[in-house]
Amino acid sequence: MFGLIGHSSNFEEARQKARNLGYEDYAEGDLDMWCSAPPQLVEKLTITDPAGQTIEGAYIDSCFVPEMLSRFKTATRKVQNAMELAQKQGIAITALGGFTSIIFENFDLAKFQQIRSTTLEWERFTTGNTHTAWVICRQVEINAPLLGIDLSKAKVAVVGASGDIGSAVCRWLQDKTDVGELLLVARHQQRLLDLQASLAGGRILPLEEALPEADVVVWVASLPQSLSIDWQRLRSPCLMIDGGYPKNLDSKIQAEGVHVLKGGIVEFFTDIDWQMMEVADMDQPKRQMFACFAEAILLEFEGWHTNFSWGRNRITTQTMEQIGAASSRHGFKPLGLDPARIRSLAGAML
Amino acid sequence: MTVAETTSALLDALPDFTTNEYKDAYSRINAIVIEGEQEAHDNYMSLGSLIPDQADELARLARMELKHMKGFQACARNLDVVADMPFAKQFFSPLHGNFQSALAEGKVVTCLLIQALLIEAFAIAAYHIYIPVADPFARKITEGVVKDEYTHLNYGQEWLKANLEASRTELEQANRQNLPLVRQMLDQVAGDAAVLQMEKEGLIEDFLIAYQEALAEIGFTGREIARMAAAALVG
Repeated sequence: MFGLIGHSSNFEEARQKARNLGYEDYAEGDLDMWCSAPPQLVEKLTITDPAGQTIEGAYIDSCFVPEMLSRFKTATRKVQNAMELAQKQGIAITALGGFTSIIFENFDLAKFQQIRSTTLEWERFTTGNTHTAWVICRQVEINAPLLGIDLSKAKVAVVGASGDIGSAVCRWLQDKTDVGELLLVARHQQRLLDLQASLAGGRILPLEEALPEADVVVWVASLPQSLSIDWQRLRSPCLMIDGGYPKNLDSKIQAEGVHVLKGGIVEFFTDIDWQMMEVADMDQPKRQMFACFAEAILLEFEGWHTNFSWGRNRITTQTMEQIGAASSRHGFKPLGLDPARIRSLAGAML
Repeated sequence: MTVAETTSALLDALPDFTTNEYKDAYSRINAIVIEGEQEAHDNYMSLGSLIPDQADELARLARMELKHMKGFQACARNLDVVADMPFAKQFFSPLHGNFQSALAEGKVVTCLLIQALLIEAFAIAAYHIYIPVADPFARKITEGVVKDEYTHLNYGQEWLKANLEASRTELEQANRQNLPLVRQMLDQVAGDAAVLQMEKEGLIEDFLIAYQEALAEIGFTGREIARMAAAALVG
């Protein structure tokens, strides 16, 4: 069985979701109540791939909401308790979705393996970052040409380049594609220098200088609140892959010729009978999902019961290829630009 | 961070067990634990009269509770604290009253819910949260106790599981009646618990995890459980 640990994107949405699922008391409760609410296994589901293999899974809502991020202990407890629940349910491989893996990483929760009477077995969990990184790279490779961007001449900026997903994206673009130039953007200068050295390439730039130069921008960092950028100075066309969490770039950027694509999202070949993605703001919630969730599904299909993505900066192009091949094999494809928009663009170019 | 550094960071985070403020709060929290173990003993003995064929097993559980009680009395002596027993008796009186009424009416299900589910789940949560911030002496004792409490929770859950269909209505009613009491008891000592570095938010969550696990084991569905548990959250 595979597991998905997720949460709502904000408190209001969490209450709405609780109401839809029939948890009336939760829907009425205030944030303090949610801070004390235990994780819930809200849905069990089955998924069948194109070859007819069927697997079972469960969705666990950690009852975390981003409004709790400033409460270190609460956020920590939500993640640990959801993981403990997944393990106690006997789930073989569980993906840490949304902020779950970010909290785990940033608060260094690997130090705390003992949760009450349960010793967490790390091999039962995956961040899903390898699949996410692979999907983002494929989104760049497939969609840039559709906008008339020739990758071999293009400058690709990776914002958040030193992170787990960002560095993997850089490695892939450097080794597996012929992109014109990589622009490396991140806050940690030392990590950027290390990355540049390991890539033997790429140019380090501050964000405001990288953006106007880039034909493709891959965002794998959350958007800083204070960010003020003259979006009109961006190139046209420009492909923006919104791979951060939460995905809010399209609401911020309205510039001619800039095309925002939700990054790290995959589409299954058929509808899945589940309710959970309804609230994750997916255009087609029955078949679209975060690539990190899909990684747990793939690991279950393949019987690879191991923490495929774990720790920082350990993703290789080989593991990306491996999970990518599984992704295609089991009926997933990376989310692409809206075909109607592409058609109208093609019409305009003629 | 090395193991040694982590350990020392954890030790640094422990409260100062020698301050008057700590001892004052401890006198009430420790008394609650002692009284809780004493009442647990009495409750299991009483349950033996309602389920005579299991009186031996219940007497065995009761003896364990007395052993726990003595351990916690030693914890108070170790910190040079006198447990505030009158406070603890008062603290337990509403729940005690409900147990006694149910006992008088021969309501096994209600008695089991109060003692073997609510009180045990609460004890498990509180002990787990206490262990990382306890003084070394109390820590060792509490670690031993918490293992036993799981077997008590398990006893109640097995009995109710075997008798679920006959017990369902009474269980739901007893839950509605008693879960808000647990919440009120918790609110009453939240300040003292905070001095011991035990946070109310975590106590409620851990209690509900243990309680929900028990209800799931008994055979309630996810939504039924969430509805039942909400009585503790809404308060």
